[in-house]
Amino acid sequence: MIEQAPALILLFPFFASIIVALAGIRIQGVCFPITVISMAASVLSGIAILGQVVNNGAIRYRLGGWEPPMGIEFRIDALGALVALAVSVVGLLTAIYSKRQVPAETPDKISQYYTLYLLLMTGLIGMVITGDAFNLFVLIEVSALTSYALIAMGPRRATLAAYKYVIMGTIGASFYLLGVGYLYIKTGSLNMFDIHEQLIARGIFDATAVLVAFILITVGVWIKMAFFPLHAWLPNSYAYAPTTSSAVLGPLVTKVMIYVMIRLTFTVFGADYTFGRLDWSDIVVWMSVAAILVGSISALAQTDLRKMLAYLIIAEVGYMVGGMWLANDMGLIGSIYHIIADAFMTLCVFLFAGIIFTQTGKRDLNALDGLFTKMPLTMVGFLVGAFSLIGIPPTAGFFSKWYLIQGGVASGHWEYVIALLISSLINAVLFFRIIEIAYFGIKPAEGHGGHHHEELSKESPTKASFSMLLPLLVTAAMLIGLGLYNRDIVAIISDFVSQFNFGVISR
Amino acid sequence: MKSLALISVVITGWLLLSAVGDFPDWGDPNSPANSYRLSQHFVTETFHETAVPNMVTAVLADYRGYDTMFETVVIFTAGIAIISILRRFTSDGADAGTEKVYEKRPDLIVDTTCRLMIPIIQLFALYVIAHGHHSPGGGFQGGVIFGASFILIALSRDLQAAHKWVPEQRVLNLAGIGILIYAGFGLASMFLGQNFLDYAILHKIMPASPIEARYHSMLGVEIGVAFTVTAIMYSIYSNLASKGTMKEGL
Repeated sequence: MIEQAPALILLFPFFASIIVALAGIRIQGVCFPITVISMAASVLSGIAILGQVVNNGAIRYRLGGWEPPMGIEFRIDALGALVALAVSVVGLLTAIYSKRQVPAETPDKISQYYTLYLLLMTGLIGMVITGDAFNLFVLIEVSALTSYALIAMGPRRATLAAYKYVIMGTIGASFYLLGVGYLYIKTGSLNMFDIHEQLIARGIFDATAVLVAFILITVGVWIKMAFFPLHAWLPNSYAYAPTTSSAVLGPLVTKVMIYVMIRLTFTVFGADYTFGRLDWSDIVVWMSVAAILVGSISALAQTDLRKMLAYLIIAEVGYMVGGMWLANDMGLIGSIYHIIADAFMTLCVFLFAGIIFTQTGKRDLNALDGLFTKMPLTMVGFLVGAFSLIGIPPTAGFFSKWYLIQGGVASGHWEYVIALLISSLINAVLFFRIIEIAYFGIKPAEGHGGHHHEELSKESPTKASFSMLLPLLVTAAMLIGLGLYNRDIVAIISDFVSQFNFGVISR
Repeated sequence: MKSLALISVVITGWLLLSAVGDFPDWGDPNSPANSYRLSQHFVTETFHETAVPNMVTAVLADYRGYDTMFETVVIFTAGIAIISILRRFTSDGADAGTEKVYEKRPDLIVDTTCRLMIPIIQLFALYVIAHGHHSPGGGFQGGVIFGASFILIALSRDLQAAHKWVPEQRVLNLAGIGILIYAGFGLASMFLGQNFLDYAILHKIMPASPIEARYHSMLGVEIGVAFTVTAIMYSIYSNLASKGTMKEGL
């Protein structure tokens, strides 16, 4: 059983999705339990994989029994195992959260919703564990199609946002596919590790086609992860989607694409090529500085809670892209650690936003008026997520930012360090504004008379139900846990990072 | 904004063309894609390893069967996505509509022609599916042809007429079962102790040698693909044509 874990982590949600599609239409009650059970099984497989990888090194799993590069293989190293586990845990938590949300928001399409949800998880996990460049494209398609539909199932504005996302996402995926095509022309292989070996063996790192392939793949992946200035599709899609959809897409899709960027850059092209031969670090780090600043400042201008969080994702993407392109081990460790940390902190705040939207029916920040007394537990969960996004110890966000800043200092990219600090400050302003509204209520000057205020709070939101609160609090606890055990996580990440000898790369 | 779009299109085009000079000549036998052991292996070993003469099918359904499974899932996802966005379950009863068969009076010429055509189309579709190992074809192509035959019924008469043959529920079941067939072959190999989709081990439950087991399993998964593609083709058509109400087609 344990040697099948690499396949099982993906097959549990996959088979569950078909069962939900077949049985869920007649008996809608089975959708939720099947989803949760399959995701829990997937998490268990993820833990088994991580254990195996930490103890025995990278796992290779040949699909169909064919030897690569003839067949497709999973190759899961420390990085892949960690991200795959994080993806499945986020999937499980959001699945629990969906119990009341999905019947409330898409009452007549419950089975379709869960089918798409499970297929999305299949696609995302598959993207993380695959070792084949074309297979990655197929799974990008699966996860992209499902996420378009998951967004479009929201209210009317969501459909338009999803349409924009379809256009941008398709362009991104096409760029990636073209890049893989160019690589295939030059190397004759599709297996990521084999492409890299072939690039070395044929000595074609100087070829124009390889350069073009690199540009196409990088830009394609950037579109998919909403890296500034290719981010326009993201804010509306995540702001208007059903709450469960934004709670699962927000943390995962961009983060998995960053994983894909790291995987392709380091495994397919190699650190020597990316940072030695091309040496575009300066430009890309400056672009990430722009992304961080634009994301943070735009977030400051929003009154819609979920839209504000969506802009924060754009800033966070800037953190991670910049961290990777700093071209030193600290930056890369920080970037990878931030994938994990950011997945959970984005999940935390999006779950909070979903709860607020469901319980109050309002989108804007005024909905939070005086919520501390009405939903204390929800607010505690949110506080941890907000502290992590600001970067207050001992949350995970502090440690990942710490590594990123160290990386920035070591490589002399002071502009990146300053952008990180400014962004943290802006996050602090943003979240303390929310905390103020939630703790002290809106001032009478803003339109609510004292007496009127009293009346409003009578029809006030009820407490969040257990199925919504549990994932939020677990996520908050995990953020603190990830922070406290940062040494162990960094040890696993270093396993991956230490393969690349950044000192040798000429800069 | 338009000029920005033009600039990005020109840059992309220039980028794509700039690498063309670097490509090997058209049909060059020594080009990496042709000379590398990957294609060499497929050309020389496919028949010995899988007993399938059409190596495209072998690469598609066996060597890279995992990809093809997810390509089928992509089609399935597209169908479910369109249902989830377009389908409207009206309260005044979607079922009430099903009784009004033949809303549109069938045209004699169109009806007769389609009556003649549809069995032939379906027979040809089955041939394409079943003969994918030996000649061009397979589950995707056959499935599309088969789906087209149902769309033709809906076009020539009415959506309700086609609905009588393939009700919505049955269409969705077919789509799911198709993927279940494909993934089931993979799962069966897993239960027999091999990796996912390793068809060779299925010789234990088939009256065949390991190599023939690959051959037969490929036919099996092609049938699964055909199920899904047929169902989703028709499902997409009926949802789009009736604007999600499933009452009246084009």
